[in-house]
Formats: sequence, C-alpha cells, structure tokens
Amino acid sequence: MKAREVLGEDPEIVLADKRYDSISTILSTSLVRGARKWTLTDMLDKVFIHKALGIPVFLALFWAMFRFAFDASAPFMEIIGLFFGLLAEASAGIPNEILASFIGDGIFGGLGFILTFIPPIFFLFLGIAILEDSGYLARAAFIMDRIMFKLGLHGRSFIPMLLGFGCNIPAMMATRSIEGEKDRLITLLVNPFISCGARLPVYILIAGAFFGSMATTAIWSMYFLGIMIAILVALLLRKTILRGEPAPFIMELPMYKAPTFHGSVIHMWERGVHFLKKAGTYLLAGAIILWFLSSFPWGVGVEFSYTGQIGHALAPIFRPLGFDWRIVASLVFALLAKEIAVEALGIIYAVEGETAIAGALVADYSPVVGYTLMAFTLLYIPCVATIGTMKKETGSWKWTIFQLALTLVLAYVVGLVITGIGAILGYA
Amino acid sequence: MVYTVALIGNPNVGKSVIFNNLVPGARQHVGNWPGKTVEKKEGKCVYKGTELKIVDLPGTYSLTVRAVDELIARNYIVEEKPDVVVHIVDASNIERNLYLTFLLLELEANLVIALNMFDVAKEKGYKIDVNKLSEQLGVPIVPTVATAKEGMKELKDEIVNAAQKKGVVMMKPKITYGKKIEGLIQFIVKIIKKDETMAQKYPARWLAIKLLEKDEDILEKIKDSIYRRELMEVIS
Repeated sequence: MKAREVLGEDPEIVLADKRYDSISTILSTSLVRGARKWTLTDMLDKVFIHKALGIPVFLALFWAMFRFAFDASAPFMEIIGLFFGLLAEASAGIPNEILASFIGDGIFGGLGFILTFIPPIFFLFLGIAILEDSGYLARAAFIMDRIMFKLGLHGRSFIPMLLGFGCNIPAMMATRSIEGEKDRLITLLVNPFISCGARLPVYILIAGAFFGSMATTAIWSMYFLGIMIAILVALLLRKTILRGEPAPFIMELPMYKAPTFHGSVIHMWERGVHFLKKAGTYLLAGAIILWFLSSFPWGVGVEFSYTGQIGHALAPIFRPLGFDWRIVASLVFALLAKEIAVEALGIIYAVEGETAIAGALVADYSPVVGYTLMAFTLLYIPCVATIGTMKKETGSWKWTIFQLALTLVLAYVVGLVITGIGAILGYA
Repeated sequence: MVYTVALIGNPNVGKSVIFNNLVPGARQHVGNWPGKTVEKKEGKCVYKGTELKIVDLPGTYSLTVRAVDELIARNYIVEEKPDVVVHIVDASNIERNLYLTFLLLELEANLVIALNMFDVAKEKGYKIDVNKLSEQLGVPIVPTVATAKEGMKELKDEIVNAAQKKGVVMMKPKITYGKKIEGLIQFIVKIIKKDETMAQKYPARWLAIKLLEKDEDILEKIKDSIYRRELMEVIS
C-alpha cells in the first residue's frame, strides 16, 4: 500500500481538509448559527481589510498619521529651537573662544538641534500606538500578509516589520518567532529598509526645508519606498539565494476598540524613551566628537577641518548623487546612529556661523539632492547597533557583511535613479 | 493522589482567565519550559478533597513540530500523559477551535472541553446543542464564561470525574478521514502494533496519522524501530 496514491503530494493539507469536513458534519447537527448580527468590527473590517480598498485605506491612514506627527509637533519644535537658539546666543558671551564654540556650536547647535526633532518622533509613536491599540495595525499586517504571501514571503515577517517603524533592533530580535531559517534570514536582511524613528529627523529637516506643503507626502513616500524595497529585495532573495516556500500563517484579528489615552501614551513613551536615552549618550558623544573634528585644526574653517577632510576625501564617489563634502561627512558620522546626520549638518553649519540650517540647505542644494539624501538615509548601511544585532541574530559575519554591501549598493542605485528622474523632469 | 490537569487552547480564548479562576494567585508558579524561553505556569488547587495540579500549556492553533510552543504542548501531552486535558474552546469561533479538539482526540488525551465565551457566542446568535456535541465528540463539555466565573464549579466537577474515570473508554468519537484514508491508517497501525515498545509509548492511530503527515519529530521517533523500513515504504 502506498500513501501517495491515497493522499497525493501534500498529505498534511489533505488530512487537515478532512478534519474540517468532519467538524462541519458534526456542527451541522449541533450548532444553529441563527441570524448573524453585525458587529462594529464586522462593519469596519468590510472596509479595512477589503481586497481592493484595504491598501488605499492603509496608505491614507499612514499619510494622515505623518501629517498629524508633523503638524502637532511643529509648535514644540519651534519652542525647543528658540530655546537652544537663545542659549547659543548667550554662549557667545563666553570669553574663551574655543569653549564658546564648543558650547555654542557643538552642544547647542548640534545636540540642541537634534533635540528639536524629538517631538515629531514622539507624535509619530503616539500615532502608531493609537493605530495599534485600536486594533487597526493587526489589519495592516493582515493586508500586507496577503500581498507578501503571494510574493512568497512568510506572514510572520510583517510583525517584525511593523516593529521596525519604531526601531529596527527589537524588530530584528522579534524575527526569532519565525520558524523557517530561510524565512527568518530574509526578514532579518530586509528589516533595516523599514524606516525607523531615527531616520525621521533627517526626513523632517530635508522635507521641511525643500518641500513646503508637500513635506508630509515626501516623508510618507520614504516609508512607502522602504516597504516596497523591503518586499522587492525579499522577493529577489527568495527567487535566488534563499529559495523555498513560505509556511502559511494563522493570525488572530482582535476586535476593534477605542484606544485609551493612558494606554496610548504609555506605548508612545515605551518606544520614545529610547530616543531620549540615546540623546544623553550617543548623540551627546556624537556632538562632542563632531564638534572637535569640525573645529580642528583650530582656525582653518570647517571645510579644511578633519570633518571637511573626511567629506572631501569621499565626496568624489558621491558626486553623481549631488552630495558635497558636508553631506558625505554627515552620512559617515550617521553610521553611529542615523539622527547624527542631522546633528552633523547642524554642527557643520553652526561652526561655519550659520544658524538657519533649513535656509542654508535650500541655498546649497536642489530639492532633488534633498530627496536623494532622504532616500539614501533610508536605505544605506543601518546604524552600528543594527549591524551588531544582525551579527548576533545570524551568528554569521558573512550575512552581516552581505547586508552591509546590499544596503549600500541599493542606496546608491536608488539615489542614482532619483537623480536621473529629477534630471529628466528638469530639476538638475 | 494528585491529578495532573493540563489546560490547552488557541490564543485569546480566555485560557489564562480560567487558569486564574482555578488556581488562586498565591499558589501559582511561573517558570520556563525546560530549555525554552516559553513561559510555563502551573499551580495546585483542592476541589472536594481532590488535589489537582494545573499546568497551563502554551496557546496553540495546532500541534505541529514547526513551532516551539506547539511542540511543547504536544510533547507534554504525549510524554507526561496528564490525567486530564482541558481544552478551552472559544464558543464564538467553535468551528476553528474544534480543529485542535480533533488533534487532542487523536492523541487520546483524556479530554474535557470548556466551551468558553458562551455569552459571546449567544450574542452572535449561535445556538449550540451542548449535549449533542458532547455525545458526538465523546467528550464532556461544560459551557463557561470565564470572565464572569460562570461554569467554573461545573468544570471542576467534570475535571474530577474525568480524572477518576481515567482508563474507562468513553464513546468513540465520530471523526473519520473517509474510507480510503482510514484503510491506509489501519494498514500503518497494524505495522506499528508489531513494535510493542512503540505501540505502548504512543497512541498507534496518532502515530500513523503523523507519519502520513511526514512529521519530522515522529520520523525521528521511529528511527530505531525494526519496522522502520516497512513504514517508510508506505509513506514515502
């Protein structure tokens, strides 16, 4: 007797089917469903997980969330900006020239500048918390799973992806729940493309400076770009070096409920406090190092300082993308943490004597360069902490280095594409 | 005599609420499953002079080898052979939940079903004939609303009943895979029964079904059987 003749190629599915058949037979005599009552959850799900409407609704909700984070944080950013502006002015009175520059340009101009971007991070996390607590985020995962499964990706991949909007590190650790080794590796490799909170300051600075009323859309497009790249790269890996079939994934959709103010604020705080801690450690250290490298040799000006020398040395590679030594130097320092790109630009301009950073950026670069910089920041080598996590989670330097190379090459290629499209549209 | 009672169910069916209702907070013990990062909760309670040790198994939808929590639950039932297994079923999602019931019946667990969230099912307009369902499955069923502590006394009664009746076979459940597949299962069962140590250790029918599913863990378990080749010939 041969099992194959009875059960075919996929016995597990055939047997599962039979079990469900038996269940239906039994329930047909002991269960009367009665008139199905419509609950609020049913009604909302008619729209939110609708085959065609689901995705536009998802995109629109996320757009609204960024708009909210952007608008609600604007007055707070203004206040923090004014505060550090005043402090910077006051520090000009310090008699020692070097100390005055350190306090004014390094601490207030750099660290203070990056701190102005804390409010949008918190408001974005508040938005995510509200979506999560209401039960919507599980639906977002569901509709994405539908697409991803068709593309051959594992459904559980999307949960780490959602976590990635906060910070990629806990997201990468969450991949431990994925069963297949290949599924897990793919999810680890593409997770850094999901735009974490640390990239937000860069987007806000650039989009705010260049895109005016379109700023929200520009920022939103980065998140969208990140998701698309993650899906495409995962698909590519699935078709080439990590072949295989994804395991099906069962997901429970919780009932919708009104988020509580208390609960959402706690969720926001849990994710956001990480950035405050970073400000006191990484970003403070970053500010000190950056100020030092940008001010010395003393008196030569930023362009010929150590920072300037690093920037100038690497700038030729990035010339096709329109990046000059300032941007290149910022991107190098941002390997430590992505927000440092903003801190670095703040310090470089502050040491140059420029306080209105946004205005200076508009004077120095075209909107295409700005947009390219946003995309490059999104895609290129994740921060050192992410690299460490990748090594720890895979236990392999090979995959860690592969990820570094992949992200760098992809960032460069996408940058070139954006520059090219910009040129075609006549924004050279 | 202390009876061991395992709680099992899909996620979000109120399993931990039932656990908390059965075991007073002070007598609960939280640890990890040996060698795993999955949380293990257990505790003792006394009901009508009978001492029960309640073990909360991880929430699972099925009992495959692919997920750590499912394997923990399955191994516990197969290896530790608890006196009673209480399957907590979400009455408002009964169709999907009964899938796990089937798997548990195949494991020949001494089952009691807590038909939880009975109020939600009623609100949804479900009318469940509990007696009839119980008869068809060959399992005692207790409707419960864990959040309101409804049905807890009845559930404990059934647990104690089941524990004491252990070994007495209830009516055979009417689960069938259809003539052809049943024939195949019987064919494999016959081979398994030739290997006495194996047949004693595991329910033969369950082993046969798992072999048909090519379950990695089970394939590993039959590795040392002298009838391995005979079995592999059928299933490969």
